This record gives sequence, C-alpha cells and structure tokens, in this order.
Amino acid sequence: MFPDLRRDVLYPIVGGVVLFALFVGFGLVYQGQLGGAERLVTFALIDAVIVLGIQIYVGNTGILSFGHIGFGAIAGYAFALSAISPAEKAKRISDAPFGLADVQLSPWLAVGVAVAATLVVAFVVGVGLARSGAESGAVSATVITLALLFVTHEVARNWPDLTGGDRAGLSFRIGGTLDSRVPIYVALLVTIVIARLYAQSRSGRLAVAAREDNLASRAMGVNPLVQQMVALLISVAVVSVGASLRVYEKGSILPGDLFFNLTLVTLVMLIVGGRRSVTGTLLGVAVITAGRELARRLGQDGFEVFGIGLDDAPLDWIFRENLKSVFLGVSMLGFMIWRPSGLLDDWELDRWLHARSARSSEPPTDPLPILEPDDSTPLVVEGVNVTFGGFRALTDVGIEARKSEVVGIIGPNGAGKTTLLNVITGLVESSSGSVVLGGADLTSAPSFEIARSGLVRTFQNLRLFTALTVRENVEVSALVAATSRRHQPSPDVDGLLAAAGLWEHRDRRARELDYGTSRRLELARATAMAPAYLLLDEPTSGMSDSESLLMIEQVRRMAGLVGAGVVVIDHDLNFIIGICDRIYCLDCGEVIAHGSPAEIQADPIVQAAYLGAAAQA
Amino acid sequence: MAELLQNLIDGLGRGSIYALLALGVAVIFGVMHLLNFAHGELITVSGYAAFWAINAGWSWYLTVPLIVVVSVATSLVIERIAFSRVRGADDFTLLLTSFGVHFVVSAVFLLYVSASFKTFARPGWVTDTYSVGSLRVEVFDTVVIAVTVVALIATTLLLQRTMFGLALRAAAADFDTARLMGVRSDSVIRGAFALSGVLAGIAGVFWLMRAGSTFPTAGINPMLKGVLAALIGGLGSLRGAVLGGFALGLAEVLLRSRLPDSVASLTEGVVFLLIALLFIFRPQGLVAVAHAERV
Amino acid sequence: MLEVSGLTTKYGEISALREAGLHVGSGEVVGLIGPNGAGKTTLLNSIAGLLTPSEGSVTFEGEDITGRPPEDLVRLGLALVPEHRRVFVDLTAEENLKIGGVTTAGADRAELLEEMGERFPMLRDKWTTPAGYLSGGEAQQLAIARALMSEPRLLMMDEPSLGLAPILVDVVFDLIESLRAQGRTLLVVEQNATRMLDLADRAYVLRSGEVVAEGTGAELRGNKDLFDTFVGN
Repeated sequence: MFPDLRRDVLYPIVGGVVLFALFVGFGLVYQGQLGGAERLVTFALIDAVIVLGIQIYVGNTGILSFGHIGFGAIAGYAFALSAISPAEKAKRISDAPFGLADVQLSPWLAVGVAVAATLVVAFVVGVGLARSGAESGAVSATVITLALLFVTHEVARNWPDLTGGDRAGLSFRIGGTLDSRVPIYVALLVTIVIARLYAQSRSGRLAVAAREDNLASRAMGVNPLVQQMVALLISVAVVSVGASLRVYEKGSILPGDLFFNLTLVTLVMLIVGGRRSVTGTLLGVAVITAGRELARRLGQDGFEVFGIGLDDAPLDWIFRENLKSVFLGVSMLGFMIWRPSGLLDDWELDRWLHARSARSSEPPTDPLPILEPDDSTPLVVEGVNVTFGGFRALTDVGIEARKSEVVGIIGPNGAGKTTLLNVITGLVESSSGSVVLGGADLTSAPSFEIARSGLVRTFQNLRLFTALTVRENVEVSALVAATSRRHQPSPDVDGLLAAAGLWEHRDRRARELDYGTSRRLELARATAMAPAYLLLDEPTSGMSDSESLLMIEQVRRMAGLVGAGVVVIDHDLNFIIGICDRIYCLDCGEVIAHGSPAEIQADPIVQAAYLGAAAQA
Repeated sequence: MAELLQNLIDGLGRGSIYALLALGVAVIFGVMHLLNFAHGELITVSGYAAFWAINAGWSWYLTVPLIVVVSVATSLVIERIAFSRVRGADDFTLLLTSFGVHFVVSAVFLLYVSASFKTFARPGWVTDTYSVGSLRVEVFDTVVIAVTVVALIATTLLLQRTMFGLALRAAAADFDTARLMGVRSDSVIRGAFALSGVLAGIAGVFWLMRAGSTFPTAGINPMLKGVLAALIGGLGSLRGAVLGGFALGLAEVLLRSRLPDSVASLTEGVVFLLIALLFIFRPQGLVAVAHAERV
Repeated sequence: MLEVSGLTTKYGEISALREAGLHVGSGEVVGLIGPNGAGKTTLLNSIAGLLTPSEGSVTFEGEDITGRPPEDLVRLGLALVPEHRRVFVDLTAEENLKIGGVTTAGADRAELLEEMGERFPMLRDKWTTPAGYLSGGEAQQLAIARALMSEPRLLMMDEPSLGLAPILVDVVFDLIESLRAQGRTLLVVEQNATRMLDLADRAYVLRSGEVVAEGTGAELRGNKDLFDTFVGN
C-alpha cells in the first residue's frame, strides 16, 4: 500500500501538519491585519477543504471534472435536510417528500448522511465516466460532469418541496450556525493528510501513472478505471464534508450557492496553485482569496493602500465593484496561457523535506538474486490473422519462445512486427489465432491483465511516466507486481535501479533523462514487473551503433535478474544477431524465415526482404 | 396530431438557432481540437452592441448586420488574444482557456457596464402569428427556419465549393499534411473563427430578437446549447452538429409538452441528463467520427 | 538544386539524424536507402519543414531554407509526398488534387487538374470517390499527383512503395521512371533498395542517422557488401 513508510506516511503526515499550521497561521495573520475579515478567512478554510477534495481527483487522475460542486450541492442539501429542525422545515418545505420534514439528525450524523448519499451518486457517475472512456484530457469527462452540475442545479431550483426552491432556499436554525472553527480546523487538517497520503499510496500512484500515460500504465498492469473510481470516491467524500460545513457556516442553502460561481472559484484556486500538488492547491486558495478580497476592496470607495487613496477619478474607473470577478477570469486565462501547471507545478512540502533529510544512501551492493529461468511457461502464439479495413496486416503468424531464450523478430517496415506485438499484449484484436502463456489462454484478455499474467512490453516511442522520478516509474511496476505475481517474488526496487545503472538518477524526473538512460529506465520498469517474458519493441531505435551494443548487455542483465524470456523486435540487425538465440523474419504480414542468427544472416530470402525484391524482368 | 405538428414547428424554430450555434462550435473544434466555451460571448457582446444601436435610434435593418459584424470581430479578437497563444496545447489547457475567456468577457461587462438587463425594443413582427389550418404558427419561427436553411446552404456551398472551404476541411482532417500542401495555419484558423463568428452572429440576431435584452452572462445559455448540440452530433462532424442542434430543439419542445406539469419545469435538467447518458453509452455521439491511436 | 549539410535533428534527447548531408542536382533522381529507423523520414521531414533541425543547413536553389515551415517551401517549389501517403480521406480524389494546388492560381489549377486526370487514368475513374475508399496503389498515385499539383521543381517522396503489393510496386516505380523521363528532379526514400538503385542516378545509404555510403546507382547496386552495410558489420 505504501512502498516506503518514512517517505509515504511519516513525512506526508508531518508535512501535512506543517502545511495546516502555515495555512491557518497565514489566515489568522491576515484577519488580524485586515479588519472585518474573520468570515472571509472562515470561508477560505472551508473552501480549502472543498478545493483539496477536487484536487484529489483532478490532480491525480488528470481528468477535468466540472461536476464536483454538483456533488457538493447534493451533499449540502442532504446535510440541510437532515440537520434542520422540523420547525424550520415546516416554514418552507412542509410537504417535503419521504417524510423529510419531520427528520432531524445531529449535525455529525447529518454530515455522515450527506457523505453517504453523495457517494452513491458518485459511484454511478464514476461508472458512467468509465464507460465513456474518460481519461486525462478527455472531453467526455468534462461533459458528463458538467451535466451533473447542471442537473443538480436544475433539480434544486425546480423542486421547491424538497429544496425550498430558488428564492427562499433552506435556512438553518439549530442553535445558530457553526459556532466555532474547531470542526473546520479538524476537517482541514484531516483533508490535507488524506490528500497527501492518497497521492503516496498505491492507488494514488497508479492513478498518476495512468494520468501520465494511460497506455503505458495498462502495459504495466494498471487498471486505470479502478484507480480513477477510488480517487473519485475519496474526493467526493471530502467535498461532501466541505460542502456540509459551508452550508452549516452560512446557515442557509440556495441552489446558486453551489453552482457555477463556486465551480469557477474553486477551479481557479486549483489551477493557480498547481493542481498536481496539495501544497500548491493551498497556496492557490490563499492567493485567490486574498486577491479577490483586495479586488473587492479596491472597488469600494474609501479604500487606501499604503495611505494612498484610490478614489481619484482616473483610477476609480478601473477599480469598481465586481472587480473581483474580472480578477478571477483574468487569473484563469492568464495562468492557462503563461503557466498552465500552476505556481508550484507538483512540488510538495513533505517531499522536499524528505529529500533534504534523506540519508545519502549507498547503492545496494548485494547482487540481486538471479532467478533461474525455467521452461515451465512457454509462450505459444499461433495462427494470428489481423485485418485493418481491407488491409491484411498479419496472415497466419505464429511464434514460440521459452524463458531461457531470446527470440528476435525482424523484417522490413510494414511487415507487421509491431502489430504482432500489439496482438500478443492485447492492444489489437486478431480475427483468429491464439496467445497461450504456460497453458493460460490470454488471447482476448485486456492489456492490463496480460501484463499481470506475465507478458510485459516496452514501446517503440518511449512511454515513460515523464513527471515521475526514475524511482517512482519503477515503483509503479513493483506495486502492481507485488499484488499480482503470486508465485514469484518481485525484485527489490533499489537493487533493480542499481543493476540498471540508474541509481545515481533515481530522484531525477524521467523527462530530464538523456535518451540512453530513458531507454534503460523503460527496460527496468518492465523488469520490475517480474514478468515471464519481456517483449521489447525496437529498444535500440534512435541509438548509434555503439549504444546498441551496450543495449545487448542491458537486456541480458535485466532479463537475467528475473529469469524472464525475451522477445525483441528491432531493425538493428547487429543488435539482433548479437543477442538472439532464434530469429523470426516477417515480411508483408507473414513469417518468411526462422532460424539461428547465422542461418538468418545467410538466408537470401531475408536479404531480399531487406534490400527489396528486384523488378520482375 | 395538430399538437404534434405544432411542436414540430416550434422545435424546428428553436433547433435552427441551436444548429447554427452548434455548427460554429464544431467548425472550431474541427480545426483546433478546442471546445469553445467562449462561443456564447459573441452573442453577449453583439447584444450590447444591439442595445446601444437600438436605443440610439438605429432601425433593426441596420442593427442586424451590426450584430453579425460585431460577432465576427469579437471572434477574431478572442482568437488573437487568447487562443493563438495556446495552440497545440493539451486538451485540459485548451478547455480551461476557453472557459477563462468566457469568464473574462462576462466579468468585464459586469464591471464596466452593469449587472442589470439591458433591454431594447424587439421588432414588431416577432410576436405575430398566422394560421395554417388549425395551427398557429409564429412568424418568427418561420423566418428563423428560412434564414437558417439559407445560412446552412450557404455554409455548405462555402465549404464544398470554395478553396477556403476546402482548405478548412483539409486542415480539420490533417493539419500537418494541409500545411505540406501550402495551407497557412494562421489563415485557416482565423478563417474558422470568422466563419464561426458569422454563424454565431446569425444565431445571435434571432436569439436577441427573441430575448429583447442582454446581460453579462447572457452568453452561457447559447453556449451551452451550441456545445451540447455539437456533442450530441459527435465532435468533429459538421453534419452531426447541425443534426444535433435540431435534435436538441425538438427534444426540448417535445419534453416540455409531454412531461406532466409538475415535472415540466425540469425540462432543462432532463435534456442535460439525456445528453450525459448519450455520452456514457455512445461517447462518439450520433454521427461517429472514428480515429485510432498510434502505439 | 538542393544542398543539405551537417543536419542534426533531435526528438527530445534522441538524435535521429547526425550531421547528415546530401545534394541533389537539377534533373537528377537521387535515392535515399537504408534500414529502418535509420532516419530517412526524419531527413525528409527536416528538409520539408515538418521538423526543425538543431544543427546544419538546408539550401534550395541558393536560398537558405533551414527550419522554414512547409507552407513556405511549397511556394518555393519544394514538395513532399509524405510517408503513408496521408491523403485526406474524407475529401474526394479531385478535392485532394485541388488542395494540392492551393498555391497555384485558379486558372492554372484547373488546367493542371485536367492534366492529372489524363496522366493518371486510374484516378480519373475515382474522381468523386472519397480518398479513404481508394486502394493502396490508387492512394499512392493520388498522393504523388497531389504533390505534382504545386508544380514543384524538386519532388521528394517518402517510401512510395510502402505497404503495396508487388504488382503495385511496379506501377509506382514505373511512375517514378516516367517522372524521371520528364526531366523532374526527385529525391526518393525507399525501402526497396534494389529497385531504387536500378532507377536512381545517385544514392545515399543512411544508417543510425548517418550517411554511411554514397555513389551512383550502379556502383551501390553492384556492391556485394550492401547487405553488410545495411546491417553494419
């Protein structure tokens, strides 16, 4: 669940407390300096809970949800309906359905009801999102969540018997509103810690991997839909609590309270600070709250900044009422154009603290256990036929491999090599044929299941989780392997990094690496899955001749560490001949030759395939 | 039966405006892969222009072209100031940028004009009706449908018969290869925004005639209709967008007339819900536009 | 006509092209062969402006065109038939050709269209068919004809025989031959090295982003170690 207790539990909790203290401290100082800002700060604290809730989902999955305030509306009304006294309810919604007019629960119980009710809706929406293929950047998620926002708003407005309708709304009278900030403080602290813990947990990391590269994450055995649902449920629970607090503090609820305006405000807070970071999100809340308030005061008459009155005619034209909405819009637009990742991008306080305190470690010197490859799980691919439209990509293709060998697949461009790999790993459907691993039929399985079963691949176009560090990239696979490779111990991440020559780079982000190191990382990441077979798609693409030769050593070493067989596609014949025990040659979707490297090299059919057939005389 | 026909005409009337809005949204999506949440701002801005003109004594004959011109100008300005700077960015950034534009525009009007409705006199014939058998048909609906048909035909001709239209379609299909042919990216994008502006302008004319007022957030409603209709039709398909617009108009009218009174006021919500469901079960919309992912 | 020297193009950290250089003289047919992943497409794309080289220069008819966008180059007389053809699938064959001639004046374009129709009778039958329904061979012809619509002085082709059945490969090479007969200047990247060398005046062999051999078509064709050069023994 948490790969490294110190880094993933201790520091986030400590860091969370520090963040909480900083944030609240700033708020208290602010309200001390600025008269009449107590209420503003109170709402800022509540908004922080709500925005962090949204961050848990949007930040970790990369899916833009416009609907979280809609969830907030559901929670808010559920809370209100449960907690407001029957006497109060009788004034507005005496005809409330389901006998709600007579119900009154304690505020805490009411929050529980709100969370439960909203989670049910969230689950349904989550299923819908999954079905529509939501992934980072997809439009469908935006639309579905926007629909949620509007539907809840419409229902709230048009069902006066339940919600008090548009003009009147529901208002509180349970001994007043929230009388102290303590519940808010508690909620905020807990939320910060939950947000950080989630991001460092197994589910959070897998969700982030899917965010970085959905396809690659599936090839590493991650099921993005499951992780996205987990993130959604946790995030909605938090937003529900925040919304309930908001309603309680305000003392009333109207449909417009939890609709577009709040959606805009929370979104801006999220993107200004940095949606991928909890620290950044809190910064965003602080900046936007202070900015809006400044804008509002500038718009009022009589406001002075450092003793300079801003009522002079020319300036007055700019500083008018409603300046704060301009401020919001300009912030959103400005940041999208100039700094879309926000002020802090994905920087986190506790990770920084941890990095600074990290004992400078020596790479592990114990050699990793070299697992003996056994031949108990042969890979047998037979009779694969693939047609794209009218184009015959593969015709009756089959290969076999054993864990003790390295099998190569070569052939000119368009021969169908990558298509074959895609079929084996579940990315492309074949019209017929079978893929059997050690007796288990994997033919129509989804790609993440195939990866978990022991067939792990790399990609021709490097697909690293670019924002994650080298270590974190490898950890993703290790996390998946830990729960799916039942019969095999998964390799220790540190040992693997050392063996791959990545130890010195372990804390660098994947996108900062040079090409050769990136390729080694991709290989190491695949190896960390402790697969039965490593399926490599052009691992030497873009490398010079000398680099390709080094790659031979790398592949041998990695495969040897976990006793994996290797199936490798490449165009670099030097590399292939140097590493393979057997080679298949494909051309025009068919296997045209099969044999040892020496046989293949001398085969005139192979030579012709590469150099091209001469014109028919 | 008569009621059904009545609904049909009403629905087509509404649907016409939605179709024009949806087409404007789809044109931009095709070329830039951007869902333009700021599309409604064109109507907000031209609404203020109309308010100023009518109250300054202009006749509607002059105001109509003014609305279209202002709409086009606003569209181009928005492209220059905001969208040109985020070209090629990821979908998240593009979406939020268009949202940002929407909020800045409405905020600016909120700030520098006022939050209140600005009303202006509608042309006299807007509320006239005439009878066809047992049907009461609004003159307005008739005009809207007629003008929309003409506009759609003109747009189709533009897209199918002119080099500009061809360049636009090629760029929407494969931007890079279009550039290889010599199509200039700036020209084609600006052209798309201009075309979108014209369509929004025509839609805006009728929207404003019907509403008789404008206010800072007037753009939200038409934007939503346009975006939703384009989504129903399947983003990337112009034909789908038009179909989506008519479908939306008809759905709204039919739902309103069919639902029991107590629930009738929930029509908007029901339409939204249906659209969400459509997205869940048929994410590609009514008119599928397939595209594969290169591994 | 075309002078490329010291061209280096990177994808992030990958040097797909390392100081590659070549030249094409007016009226020549020059081939670019080599194993896959060698950087042949990268080289053409770098010349055509789809990629920006980090080092080196490209000169066309005396003018430095390094890093200039493709829209400009078409107007200077440099056209590219891209890899995988990239015809506009929803546009008809005729429309594809028309857009190929977007930089030509209207009247000339109409004339050119006529010409293409005559020169490519296989296409004339499919004039109003959406390009997505054309067969591989027809699509290749369309892509070449489309590039010709801009009346290029230098025509570059990226793997024209890719994915085509042998009979169609013949058609494509016949087409290239006829273009050569017309005095066109061509730079052709080809997988089918044998046939390309039979056809070309000169050729370059690219491997791992570098030019490792050059010579006349006949020289390289007769080279017994060509396969080894490909492999890198």
